Amino acid sequence: MTIAAWITLAAPLAAIALITLGGNLLPRRGAGYVATAFTFVSFAAAVYAFVAMWQRAGADRSQVSTGWTWLSAGGFHAGMSILVDPLSVFMMLVVSGVGALIIGYSIGYMDGSDEERRFFAYMAIFVFSMLLLVESANLLLLLAGWGMVGLSSYLLIGYDQHRPAAIHAAKKAFIMNAFGDATMALALFLLIQHTGTLEFGPTFAHAPGGTIGILIALGLLGGALAKSAQLPLHTWLPDAMEGPTPVSALIHAATMVTAGVYLIVRCHPLFERAISVEKTAAVLGAATLVLAGLVALVQVDIKKVIAYSTMSQIGYMFLAAGLGAYANGMFHLMTHAFFKALLFLAAGILIHALAGEQDIRKLRGAGRLAPFTSLCFLSGSLALVGIPPFAGFFSKDSILAAGLDRGTLGYILFALGEVGAFLTGLYTFRLWFVVFRGEPTPFVREHFHRHHGKEGPLWMLGTVGVLGVLALIGGWIQFSPIWHPIANWLDPVAPPLANPTSTEEAIASALAVGLGVAGIVVAWLMYGAARVPVPRLAFVQRTLEHKFWFDELYDAVFSRPAAQLALALDRAIELPLVAGSLDALGFGAREAWSGTSRAQTGLVRSYVLALAGAMAALVIAFLVAR
Amino acid sequence: MTGTDWQTTTLVVLPFAGALAIWFLPLARYTAGATAVLISLAEVAVWIDTVQRFDFSSPALQFAVRRSWFRDLGVSYHVGFFGFSLWLVGLTVVVMAACVVYGFWAQREHARAYFGLMLFLTGAIVGVMTAQDLLVFYAFFDAMLIPLYVLVGVWGGPRRGIATIKLVVYTLTGSLLMLAAVIWFGLHAGTFDLIDSGTSSSIWLFLGFMAAFAVKLPFFPLHGWLPDAYREAPPEVTAALSGVVSKAAIYGMLRIAISKFPGPTHDVRPAILALAAVGLVYGSLYAFRAPDFRGVVAYSSLAHLGLIVLGLFAGNDLGYDGAILQSVNHGLVTAGLFLLAGSIERRTGTGLFSQLGGMARGRPALATAVMTAGILSLAVPLSANFAGEFLILAGVFRQGWGWAVVGGFGVVLAAMYMLRAISGVLHQDVGPAVREEALDLRPAELAFVAPLLACVVALSVWPNGISGRAFARGTGARQTVATELAGMRTGWTGYAPLEAAKK
Amino acid sequence: MRGPEVTWYLGVAAFLFATGAFGVLVRRSPLIVLLALEIMLNACNLALIAMSRHHGRADGQVFALGVMAVAASEVVAGLGLIVAIHRRRLALDVDRLTSLRG
Repeated sequence: MTIAAWITLAAPLAAIALITLGGNLLPRRGAGYVATAFTFVSFAAAVYAFVAMWQRAGADRSQVSTGWTWLSAGGFHAGMSILVDPLSVFMMLVVSGVGALIIGYSIGYMDGSDEERRFFAYMAIFVFSMLLLVESANLLLLLAGWGMVGLSSYLLIGYDQHRPAAIHAAKKAFIMNAFGDATMALALFLLIQHTGTLEFGPTFAHAPGGTIGILIALGLLGGALAKSAQLPLHTWLPDAMEGPTPVSALIHAATMVTAGVYLIVRCHPLFERAISVEKTAAVLGAATLVLAGLVALVQVDIKKVIAYSTMSQIGYMFLAAGLGAYANGMFHLMTHAFFKALLFLAAGILIHALAGEQDIRKLRGAGRLAPFTSLCFLSGSLALVGIPPFAGFFSKDSILAAGLDRGTLGYILFALGEVGAFLTGLYTFRLWFVVFRGEPTPFVREHFHRHHGKEGPLWMLGTVGVLGVLALIGGWIQFSPIWHPIANWLDPVAPPLANPTSTEEAIASALAVGLGVAGIVVAWLMYGAARVPVPRLAFVQRTLEHKFWFDELYDAVFSRPAAQLALALDRAIELPLVAGSLDALGFGAREAWSGTSRAQTGLVRSYVLALAGAMAALVIAFLVAR
Repeated sequence: MTGTDWQTTTLVVLPFAGALAIWFLPLARYTAGATAVLISLAEVAVWIDTVQRFDFSSPALQFAVRRSWFRDLGVSYHVGFFGFSLWLVGLTVVVMAACVVYGFWAQREHARAYFGLMLFLTGAIVGVMTAQDLLVFYAFFDAMLIPLYVLVGVWGGPRRGIATIKLVVYTLTGSLLMLAAVIWFGLHAGTFDLIDSGTSSSIWLFLGFMAAFAVKLPFFPLHGWLPDAYREAPPEVTAALSGVVSKAAIYGMLRIAISKFPGPTHDVRPAILALAAVGLVYGSLYAFRAPDFRGVVAYSSLAHLGLIVLGLFAGNDLGYDGAILQSVNHGLVTAGLFLLAGSIERRTGTGLFSQLGGMARGRPALATAVMTAGILSLAVPLSANFAGEFLILAGVFRQGWGWAVVGGFGVVLAAMYMLRAISGVLHQDVGPAVREEALDLRPAELAFVAPLLACVVALSVWPNGISGRAFARGTGARQTVATELAGMRTGWTGYAPLEAAKK
Repeated sequence: MRGPEVTWYLGVAAFLFATGAFGVLVRRSPLIVLLALEIMLNACNLALIAMSRHHGRADGQVFALGVMAVAASEVVAGLGLIVAIHRRRLALDVDRLTSLRG
């Protein structure tokens, strides 16, 4: 079982080595095949580990395997060790499975690009990093994987190196995540100081409570917020859509951005010791899901709409994790990985066919020319809104039900979640009615490029088809009131704090489906049938288009003061003190020594006389002193 | 002593002998360069042999050689290795070999003088890092300056005159203060031997030593010579300055300032930590403003060295181990970055970001090398630099959480300026100075860059190779540095909760 | 075998040293200045050897040998300089060679 987990981790690494060292020996397409094949090996090993674990008894399912001591100092040790338990195997399956599908899709999407090898090497780095994150058995390696996924996200967003917007977005993503890494590192320092170790077991057992516990949880929460693009560290995610579409699907929808949820679930003992911080996570998640849903209403870039939708859905997962409904959060993480990857990849087929155009005003009606893609997109949209029997229905509604089980705060969050459900229906079907059901624009008719008579390359259509089916049936694994294998599977790792009753489940589901359908109807009225004009509220519109002015705020509070501080330091310290002091010293010395130099007459005999005189004086001094 | 103690003297003497040979034998230009490369590679081989024979579980001085020099003054030629000095010497021989290869590739003028000086510099640095006698230490410490002055002053850029003068004034002042401290310390202790002499509690002597090391490092606010010297020196000399010479100062701080002056170290600690923290932020902010690639790396060096000093003066195992690990990483990565800067300047004639850009397209090897070195330098997690910085910050955290917060802030700033530098060279629009004909890295260039980066990547897989072996943790005869350092650890012997759990 | 008291030797050495020093100070020809320097060195040698004999130790004699070697090389260098100055047709007068002036 542990060997299979090591293979899962090592397979993408082998792909990186092959692609990097192979260089020109490997044909361009070959890089894609290598990356896909090795990620599938990874997935197969994960499945093997899952099956092996299934056959074991509950207590025997959690195993730590240490390869070697990675870092030690004094009494502190951190091993290169992996933890194989139900939670990590669950994540391994999602990451390697969805990863393999999306990398396969990229073979079609990236075909003909200049630097395919680089792209697939980066993708493999990402899969490796993400697997390291979920498999690590101590917080230090988790932080390492945490930062590595940030790095691969940076590399992939900035894949189009010549476009300033892409490079800018890549840097922004990396720096905001570095901020999150730093707060996490501080939490880890506190843990080292108070427990002396970062291994999950002993750390969780001995972690302090009280103020220290709150600080630790806050530090971890900072990392989770940055990685998962939750308020207030969310501004990088929409910009990250500058990356190629498969990257958006894999990293910025299906896997990496959900790492924050994984972190909270994995470290739930730490958060439960600081329950106020855990509730803060839930509140921030709820706030994000509403805010992102609102902003998604006015976006005109198809990928940015889906990106805001991703933020919103991760808000649900944070809500679940913060309320202690860990299994529900992980379940939604899984179904979300299916349908959100599907939405991105389906959108990618259109973008691919229209030479990179992403503006929905120009894409209007493009879906009519691509019936298979439309069908799959519809499946993803219905899953996103949570219409039964699509996946989102099963996972999202049980999160909302958990809100009803957690007191007054739970009720407020529940209400926000229901508002989010309405917004989801509205913005998702705005996209659907405009892009897939509208009358094709001249631009679309002129430019739609069919790939050998099909909508797109087979690799792309196949992947989208598989995901389309998963978006339909992926949620059937668990139906909270009746059967709950995921909750049972994860129970030993993360026992839930919330156990909603069947009545609460029913109320939450009915409301959520009703509001989702209402959102769809409103979208149809406004965009599909155009019976109701889209309301025009100048101020609201501007606020939403500026994304609640977060970018402007951060620019004014952080970027500009840093630049001005550097300038001020230059004027106040570097020039006058550090450089100036040396100049002053030089001039002063020259003045002082020009006087002394007159004693140098150049006459040898005067020097000799001085020598002799000095000698005589010394001799006399010694004699007298004696 | 066993029959294996020839290594230390060989490591010290071989480069000096090579330097003399190259200076005095009438070698052709090409032969002189090839000889220097061979000698520096032989040096690496001897070092590898030393590592294989080294007993990392023993805290005692190993491969020691001691020959009396001036018996009356208690001066002797006394050299040997501790765990941490072994790693620093390893860094030195590897980086200097890369620098010599760079000089060979760049076909420096006056080849015999040049290669002789480079080897002389290598020998002097190895001497500093192995010396166990204060006067020998001082002699090597100043011998290190001579080749640097000449190398910057003769082979440097257009403003090399000013750069050399600043370097001379700063470092000589520091050295003189140290000389006074050396003499005073030696006469009071009755011996100049570092193993035999005890500790001192004189704050003035401590400051005298620290002055020399702080200038050489350089340490905020004594970094006035840094911008000019790093920009005007030939790239390989800059690489040696920031990668290796600064580590000689680190060695001095650890071996002399900290281990011989436990009292003053404790008293001055807050001030030094504060200056190191200021230097870290200051260097980072400056790196963010620097208009050229070398400027960014130079100021990032100032910041990273501030971080290493934070670790050294954290006063616990985490800090010491982290500082040694980070010294090695920083040396390798910074040297690699400066050599790459040199390669870029040879192609484009400039290092200014306004003139550069878009070099990634069509130059995969250059792009990969710059990108790898850059992200290693900003301590991306899982890299050895990350491990080092993590240990340092975890260590200094125990002195007060504020230091670690500043350090964490510095790490975020590092991401900002390093990404700016990478993008400025590789990405976006093709700069006016970048011509189509500018080639990708040649095999010869890969020969000096790739090994440096490969070393860091290998360390990233197993940073514990250094962090766990810098200081012996044996319970046997605890002597020398290990004991001296152990005496000052701030009572961090175990973990109460874990100990309790075991019982 | 005992010769005269050590005081006598020191007296002679002091006289020789004074003579040499006087010569260095007042003569203007570099050649004579060199000569006078040699006298001073030999005065030192005499004192060294005398004291060495007085104490019955060999240290002084070793030093004297060293001084002789120094003196010999100094004469070589000095004479070479004088010849060089002469070749360049400069005046052989130490008072007119003042390029050391600051």
